[in-house]
Amino acid sequence: MSARESSRLEADGLYKVFGRRPEEAVDRLRAGAGREELRADGTTAAVIDASFTVEPGQIFVVMGLSGSGKSTLLRMLNGLLEPTAGHVRFDGRDLTALSDRELREVRARNISMVFQHFALFPHRSVLENAAYGLEVQGVPRAERHARATEALALCGLAGWEKSWPDELSGGMQQRVGLARALATDADLLLMDESFSALDPLIRRDMQDQLLELQKTLKKTIVFITHDLNEAMLLGDHVAVMRDGRIVQTGTAEDILVRPADDYVASFTQDVDRSRVLTAGAVMDTAVRGDEADCGCATATPDTPFAELCALSARLSHPVAVVDSARSPVGVVPRQRLVGFLGDERGAPVPCEAAPGGADACAAPVAGTPRPDGARRDDARRGDAPRGDARRGDTAGDDAPKVVTARA
Amino acid sequence: MPRVHLGDWVANGVEWLRVHLGWLFDAVKTVVEHMYDGANAVLTAPEPLLLAGILGVLALWLRGPLPAVLAFAGLALIDSIEQWEPAMNSLALVLVSCLIIFALAVPIGIAAARSRAVSGAVRPVLDLMQTMPAMVYLIPGIFFFGVGPVPGMVATIVFAMPPAVRLTELGIRQVDAELVEAAEAFGTHPRRTLWRVQLPLALPTIMAGVNQVIMLALSMVVIAGMVGGGGLGSTVYDGISSVDVGLGFEGGVAVVILAIYLDRMTGALNQRVSPLGRRALAKADAALGGPRFLRWKPATPLAMVGVLVLALVAGGLNAFGRADEVPKVTADVGHGRPVSMGYIDWPEGVASTYLWKEILQQRGFTPEVKSLEVGALYNGQAQGSVDIQTNSWLPATHAPYWKKYRDQLEDYGAWYDRTSLEIAVPSYVKGVRTLDDLKGKGGLFKGKIYGIEPGAGETKLYEDQVQNVYGLKGEYRLVKSNTSAMLAQLDRAYAKKEPIAVSLWSPHWAYDKYRLTKLADPRKAFGSGDGIHTLGRKGFAAKEPRVARWLKDFKLTEAQLTALEGAIEDAGKGHQEDGVRTWLRKNPGIVDKLAPVGGTR
Repeated sequence: MSARESSRLEADGLYKVFGRRPEEAVDRLRAGAGREELRADGTTAAVIDASFTVEPGQIFVVMGLSGSGKSTLLRMLNGLLEPTAGHVRFDGRDLTALSDRELREVRARNISMVFQHFALFPHRSVLENAAYGLEVQGVPRAERHARATEALALCGLAGWEKSWPDELSGGMQQRVGLARALATDADLLLMDESFSALDPLIRRDMQDQLLELQKTLKKTIVFITHDLNEAMLLGDHVAVMRDGRIVQTGTAEDILVRPADDYVASFTQDVDRSRVLTAGAVMDTAVRGDEADCGCATATPDTPFAELCALSARLSHPVAVVDSARSPVGVVPRQRLVGFLGDERGAPVPCEAAPGGADACAAPVAGTPRPDGARRDDARRGDAPRGDARRGDTAGDDAPKVVTARA
Repeated sequence: MPRVHLGDWVANGVEWLRVHLGWLFDAVKTVVEHMYDGANAVLTAPEPLLLAGILGVLALWLRGPLPAVLAFAGLALIDSIEQWEPAMNSLALVLVSCLIIFALAVPIGIAAARSRAVSGAVRPVLDLMQTMPAMVYLIPGIFFFGVGPVPGMVATIVFAMPPAVRLTELGIRQVDAELVEAAEAFGTHPRRTLWRVQLPLALPTIMAGVNQVIMLALSMVVIAGMVGGGGLGSTVYDGISSVDVGLGFEGGVAVVILAIYLDRMTGALNQRVSPLGRRALAKADAALGGPRFLRWKPATPLAMVGVLVLALVAGGLNAFGRADEVPKVTADVGHGRPVSMGYIDWPEGVASTYLWKEILQQRGFTPEVKSLEVGALYNGQAQGSVDIQTNSWLPATHAPYWKKYRDQLEDYGAWYDRTSLEIAVPSYVKGVRTLDDLKGKGGLFKGKIYGIEPGAGETKLYEDQVQNVYGLKGEYRLVKSNTSAMLAQLDRAYAKKEPIAVSLWSPHWAYDKYRLTKLADPRKAFGSGDGIHTLGRKGFAAKEPRVARWLKDFKLTEAQLTALEGAIEDAGKGHQEDGVRTWLRKNPGIVDKLAPVGGTR
């Protein structure tokens, strides 16, 4: 643990201002000046007071629209851009204090990067591309080719070593880009919208493969994207950027369940919740202890939302969520699943229509199978009004406890 | 509108540069001239058809069998219309110019690609260089570098360089910024990024620049011929000036053949040198139909072997050819003993030294000649590393050296008496016989006397003495440039029968080539002249009494000397021996007269 502790990445009050007299602009920003004010003077504040910590082995996603400063932020992490103010600490060293030469050494050995448009060298074969970082390090030819071949195999490109970048599809090219970054054995991987240029199916594929690789490699990864779905899927922690500032940092569920402001909330509307949420986030934690005794299928806090839906459809009662010791930690009534999917946490409203229609209207609620009264009570408690969950209002002791599935 | 004397300012600027930066131009001239001489020596050394073969193998390597055959046929045609030597001179001129261009242009292009400020500063200069009529460069070119290949090459370099700079800059700017960033992100040093990423990817564009530059350089060859650059330019220029349609056409055809060859080869070179080019080539070849042998190209090592074999054959033939050139020993007095001779690179120094080299060879000695600076010559001789020199201007010009080294030297007497400095005019200018006659004829000579180097003794004498003694100050201006430019001026005026006054000295081959009047100097303002003495190192006469006796008896008349100088001048640089032999053929028996061997004959 302590060995990995050293590869923690820390950004501390980073500013990047383009234009004339940038230091002065930083002082004004610190004094509360706005971005628009500076723009009027011809200076552009790309990143304003960005601070975060990435723990070793974590994937940290920076999410933001174009122009939000996320790429600038990424480039300050490996010194491609020099911060106007603030510090980047990695591996126990302050990268902002290094000389050019030391910084190059760090880039060659400790930090590697994957680019949006792959940035493969067209005059080098796939193998030579993958071996590039090792070549810069001065690794002898035979060894670097062996290690590059290994990295390519890891990325699913065994047998393509002698090909040329332009002979590969986009997805395969990005695999070469990934292999090039992995070949150097760097602890920190910077990924700049690395999957954005790929078509959706390939993108899914690459995302899954990255998560698969991460299980064994345990790199520290900073991933930039403008796609919140991707951010939610990949990120152990997600930072949302807007106009140069980080507006919220938290787990995927934090962002989704408790957006910091309307801006973040407007993003989360489009998110495919079924891919992000897990049983741990959805479940009602008020348990009696005998929910799993019936012998039906159960879920764990890590069970993805989609799987939970399938389970719920097969069961006549709420799904029990159990921990590794098989003791119940929560239950998920079907109503809750539907509510989370639709981002609607309110309790069902009684139908006010004519008596004839009352049954029909109440049917969806009343029709929900409830094996016994206790269950119904639970369900009712779980569905009780809790205010607007989006505002992060956690009124009521039964509000879903946000559990980070992969924490 | 007031007259803005822009031209005068530029001319004055050029003049100022020539006076104050003369050493720099001399250095440039020396370097460029040596490069040209080297390239020329390599290209003209082999048998024409062998070199055509070598160039054909290169064409085979780069483009395949058919282009190779065509290249060989084209080059053979150049040989058969007797334009081989000029064509190779031109080729040497183009190749050396292009080499210099790329040595300058690529770094400038790189700097311009990296810095917007440099780019902004360079662009107008390039525009100027490219659009200014090329002839304009020749005028200062002659001023700075004299006539010969150098001003032509300088004009070529100035004219042909812009595309190289532009395309280098463009090529590097075109390289995807993300690739450069990727290199940087992996910790590549900027210099390495340049060499391993930017330049390889810019290579196709830079090679397009090579192609452009070579074509532009070839188009300048004709213009270079007008300032004595030699080569095909001179052929074409001769054709123009003598209205010889046939000659002009032959020269033109040779230029075209060279142009096509160089164009196709540099185009193909692009595909051979870059990995991307090689891949594109392989694809294109695979797409083409037709018999495969038409597209066969030897691998690089095989092509190298071919070139090497032909070069060795050429070298071998040359070795035999050289053997014929060593003069026959007519009387073996020297038995191969070495004699070291030093000379100053003045026409009479070259002429007398190479004459004695020839004579001593014929007498069985092994003479060795070296060109030295005046001080170095005296110093070397005093130290014994030079046996004899025939270049000592005494009693006046070399008095300081004589005074300093007289104890280590032996004077064998003057072989030419007496030298003089003078103003000369062509004989067709009537009524001008003495320096006094110049007064009042400023209009006729446009107020100019064409002088030589500003540092020369003669220039100083004119300015300090002559113009005051004869009252020429104000009416005439001494145009200081250099000996070659003065002679080029004289040659041009003489051809047009225009009046011209030049500062000259005797002995000089110009008196052999042109009909000139030496203006008399009744008031002795130019001084009374020197004798040209032969000096030996101390003890040389004791060691080689025979040679010393020949040298003591050595005499040449002005007619003999100027004719000899003229013959050497005509033979050209590097062919002094040929000039001497030509002169000896016209003067049979002179060797025996100068170096009699007594009863042995």
